[in-house]
Amino acid sequence: MVTGLAEGPTHLGVRRSLAYWNPEFQRIHSPILRYGFSVVSVVVALAVAFALQHFQFRDVELPVLTLAIAFATWHAGTGPSVLAVLLSSASFDYFFIEPRYSFEISIRDLPYFSIFVIWAAIVASFSEVRRRIEDNLRQARDHLQVEVEQRRHREDEIRKLNQELGKRAVELEASNKELESFAYSVSHDLRAPLRHMVGYSELLQRQAASLLDEKSQRFIQTILNAAKRMGNLIDDLLAFSRIGRAETNRAKVDLKQLVDEVVAEIGQDTKGRNIAWKIGALPVCYGDRSMLRLVVVNLVSNAVKFTRMREAAEIEIGAVDRGKDEAEMFVKDNGAGFDMQYVDKLFGVFQRLHLPEQFEGTGIGLATVQRIIHRHGGQVRGEAAVDQGATFYFSLPKAQNPERTADAP
Amino acid sequence: MTTLGRILIVEDDPNDVELTLTALADYNLANEVVVTRDGQQALDYLYCRGEFGSRTAGNPAVMLLDLKLPKIGGLEVLQQVKADERLKMIPVVVLTSSSEEKDMMRSYSLGVNAYVVKPVDFHEFVNAVKELGIFWAVINEPPPGSVQK
Repeated sequence: MVTGLAEGPTHLGVRRSLAYWNPEFQRIHSPILRYGFSVVSVVVALAVAFALQHFQFRDVELPVLTLAIAFATWHAGTGPSVLAVLLSSASFDYFFIEPRYSFEISIRDLPYFSIFVIWAAIVASFSEVRRRIEDNLRQARDHLQVEVEQRRHREDEIRKLNQELGKRAVELEASNKELESFAYSVSHDLRAPLRHMVGYSELLQRQAASLLDEKSQRFIQTILNAAKRMGNLIDDLLAFSRIGRAETNRAKVDLKQLVDEVVAEIGQDTKGRNIAWKIGALPVCYGDRSMLRLVVVNLVSNAVKFTRMREAAEIEIGAVDRGKDEAEMFVKDNGAGFDMQYVDKLFGVFQRLHLPEQFEGTGIGLATVQRIIHRHGGQVRGEAAVDQGATFYFSLPKAQNPERTADAP
Repeated sequence: MTTLGRILIVEDDPNDVELTLTALADYNLANEVVVTRDGQQALDYLYCRGEFGSRTAGNPAVMLLDLKLPKIGGLEVLQQVKADERLKMIPVVVLTSSSEEKDMMRSYSLGVNAYVVKPVDFHEFVNAVKELGIFWAVINEPPPGSVQK
C-alpha cells in the first residue's frame, strides 16, 4: 500500500509532479520504523498521561492514549495501529485501572475498559479507511495524470498530422489549379489552330473546287475529317476532365423519368430504324442529375450505335434490386457485343474495341460513365459475347440512403 | 431596306479575323466592320482615343469579343464596357474558343448579352457568325446613339 507510489505510475514526469504536489502523503516506509513509531507514540502518550496525573489532572489518560493510536494509524499504517491499540489497552489496564500495576480488571471497570478498546479500534479503523480512500484517490489521480500525458502526446501527434494534411491540401490545390489551367489552355489554344485548319481547308475546297482533281479533293476532305475528329476528341477529353473537377449537386433522381427523357431524345435520331425499347421499373436514386443523365445518354446511345446492323434491334433498360442500400441498373442490347477477354479495356480512356470504320466514336463514353458512377460510390461492369449483344450494369445508392454516397476520389 | 449596324470585332488571331470576315462577307455583312486586335485597342476605339481619336462618334451596334486577348483580356474589356454609363448599352457577344463554365459564368455575371463558343466545324462557325451578324446588326434595334450605315 505504502509503496504503491513507487510501483504504480512509471512515467518519469508523473513521479516528479507527484513528489512536488503531494508532500503530505509522504509516509514512513520501513516496517521497523513504522512499528517503532507506534511504540514510541504509546510511550510518549503514557509519559504525558503520567505527567498530567502527577499534576492532579483527572481522567486524561484515555484521550491521550487515543491520540497516540490516531497518530500511529495516521503515520504508520494498519499493523502499527493494531499494535498501538494493543499496547495502549494493555498499559491502560496495567497503569490506570484498579487494581493498578496488574492486568486484572474488576467487573465494575469492564464496560469502561471495553469502551476504550472499542473506541481505540474505531479510531484505528477510521484512519485505516481514510488511508485506503486516500490511496485509491492517489492511484486514480496517477492514472489520470498518465492519461493526460498520453492524451497530450496524442494531441501533439494529431496536430502534426493535421499540419501535414494541411500541407497536402495546399499541394493538392496547387496541382488542381495547374490541371485546371492546363484544361483551360487546351480548350482555348488547342482548338483555335484546329478551327483554322478546318476553316481554311473548306475555303480552299470552295475556292479551288474547279481546279482540283478528284484525288486532291479527297486529300482535302481527309484533312477536314481528321481535324474535325481531333476537335471531337478534345471536346470529349475536356468534358471528361470536367467531370472529375466539377462539384456534384446531389438530390433525389427519378431514373425512370430520366431514362424516358433520354430515350425520347435519342429516339428522334433513330427514325427509320426498327428498335424495340423495353423499359422496366427503375428506382429513385440519389445523385447529380446532370451527371447521371450523361451516364444514361452514353449507355443508351452506345446501345443504339452497336445495334445499327440489326434488322430488329432490341434495347432493354431495367433494374436489379441489390438490397435496401443499392440498386443496379442495366442497359442491354442485341448488338455487336465484344469479346470478354478485352473487358478490362472497356472503361479506359480512348480505349476502343471496334474499328473506326465499323463504329465511330472517341472511346471516352464508357470512361465517362465509369468516372461518374465511381464519384457516386457505385460500380460499373459489362458483359457480352461477340455478336450476341452486350449488357452494361451500373450501381447507385438508393434515395433513402444519402449518407452512403461519400465522394470517392 | 433595313439599316445595317456597325460590328466591332475584338480578336487577336489573324486567322480567326479572316475567317470571321469571310463568314460575314458571305452574307454581305462585312462592309461596316471594325477589327481591333487587343483589349487596349478595343477600348481606344470605344472611347474614340489614340488611333481612333478622329473617328466619328457613336457606339457599334454589336461587339464580338474574344476572351483571350493580349494586354487587356476580354473579360476586363467586358467589365469596363458594362461599368461605363455611355458604353453599357452596347450589346456584347462573347465569341470564344472556351467552353469553360468558369468563363461563361463570369461573362454572364458581368452582363454579357450572348455567349457563343466558336465551333470547330467551319460550316457551323460560318452559321454562327452569320446568325450573330444578322441578328445583332440587322434584326436587333440597337440602342440610340449607335452608328448606322
